[in-house]
Amino acid sequence: MKRAWLYLLMTSILLGLFFLSLQVGVVHLHSSIWDLIGKHDGVDAATVWEVRFPRAMGAVIAGAALGIAGALSQGIFRNPLAEPALIGLTSGSILGTIAVISSGMAAFGSRTNVESAILFAALSAFLVYWISPSKGFGFLITGIAISAILIAISGLLISISARPGIQSLSFWNFGSLSLLSSHTVRVIAPFCEFGFILALFVSRRLDIYSLGESSAHYLGQNPKRTRALAIIALAFLIGPVVSAVGTIAFVGLLVPHIVRLLVGPGHRKALTYNAFVGAILLLIADLLARMLFQPHEIPLGLITSIIGAPALIILLRVKNSQWVAHD
Amino acid sequence: MINLEKVSFYRADKLIIDDFDGQLNSGELVLLTGANGAGKSTLIQLIAGVLKPNGGRITFNGKDLSEINCKDQALLRSVCPQRRDFHLAFKVKDLTELLPAQRRSFALQNIIEALELDKLMHLPVIQLSLGEQQRVSLAIALVQESNFYLLDEPFSAQDSQSIIRIIKLLKSIANEKGVLVISHSAENLHSYFDREIKLS
Repeated sequence: MKRAWLYLLMTSILLGLFFLSLQVGVVHLHSSIWDLIGKHDGVDAATVWEVRFPRAMGAVIAGAALGIAGALSQGIFRNPLAEPALIGLTSGSILGTIAVISSGMAAFGSRTNVESAILFAALSAFLVYWISPSKGFGFLITGIAISAILIAISGLLISISARPGIQSLSFWNFGSLSLLSSHTVRVIAPFCEFGFILALFVSRRLDIYSLGESSAHYLGQNPKRTRALAIIALAFLIGPVVSAVGTIAFVGLLVPHIVRLLVGPGHRKALTYNAFVGAILLLIADLLARMLFQPHEIPLGLITSIIGAPALIILLRVKNSQWVAHD
Repeated sequence: MINLEKVSFYRADKLIIDDFDGQLNSGELVLLTGANGAGKSTLIQLIAGVLKPNGGRITFNGKDLSEINCKDQALLRSVCPQRRDFHLAFKVKDLTELLPAQRRSFALQNIIEALELDKLMHLPVIQLSLGEQQRVSLAIALVQESNFYLLDEPFSAQDSQSIIRIIKLLKSIANEKGVLVISHSAENLHSYFDREIKLS
């Protein structure tokens, strides 16, 4: 019963924020959203359906993907402070994007771009997994080192690329929904959807996996398979998001903590809540990015960092009853 | 029957287990003893399939362990490790219900009562004491329906009364199943065990 109410509440908040995203912006609307449904002529209709709608959809998809990816990473590392960026997934996606764009193989936000980001994300994470000396602390350090190398290569590719306008990618690098077109949203949606489904499957294994890898084995689960499936799911969630909207910090880290406070620690039960909370947070962050310094827009990643970093510090300082760190 | 035939195991060039022969049958409660570093836990991990022997053969009812996949291994044997990583606020009840219902023991309620967990079922495991967490860990292993139970130091954080209660539970499980227990604190409990395997 509590769950039904929580779903209802989250759906209402999400819908409310979604309509608010369509409503507000630099361009003032002269007619209401309801009057614009089905219409495609005029400035108002163009503003809502060609600019704000894909942007709001993008926020929902990216937020949901980041929330789920956060829960999956924390589950797979059995560490509530893990996030996808730590194992090279984000930097892999960035390199995958920069590589195809700087070489002229594909346009920003195209299908090839997204596929390349997914491929590089998965390869980076598997590389980290393969070369790391241990699966605990050494894993994270290896991930940070590999990420640094991948980011350096991306920077190199940008600086030697002769393509005009590639420097504008630095805006994307901070995370922004402003470059989203309805085409890009249509391209990333099915990939993310596949990631969601795979994540749902993996999350069923994560409750047992949380007791440790040997324990998982004792209870009949192959922990290596769980990890491999999780990495693939993460690549399908993170690759499309990074290629379309850049790096958005802290969402993946924070969302699972909020969800654990709401519904407890179970991975399988909590997965859809992670999607909801992620989408809600990103819609709020995007509204702030657009509204705070009108007519200037702030990169979304800056907003999530400014909100997320203090929230993380609070989480670390306040004794949180939802998890303990063994150190 | 679990059968070990000339099993040896090296860790970083150090011989831990040397040509070990032994078996565990259904219907017996066996105590595994030996000095620190004699390889008791290693032996359980070898039988449990998380470590691979460098030599020799481990078979379950005649079938080679290396040919049994993870899931089927869990139907044959259940393991209580020395430590489990309890870092999330799962309720004790959630942890006893990790496995799908058809793979859980019929005796679930008996196990929970014998381990004195009935009053803790709705508490988060991370708030429990070390001894209580150890009993939760044991419950996870005993609730798993299988033919053999391999328990690594299940009494180390228990008081004498709890130990007696747990041993009686194990004894009842060992009516049909094979149970192997590693323990340091079992000197005065020998009478409960059917036999002892000493590792040197």
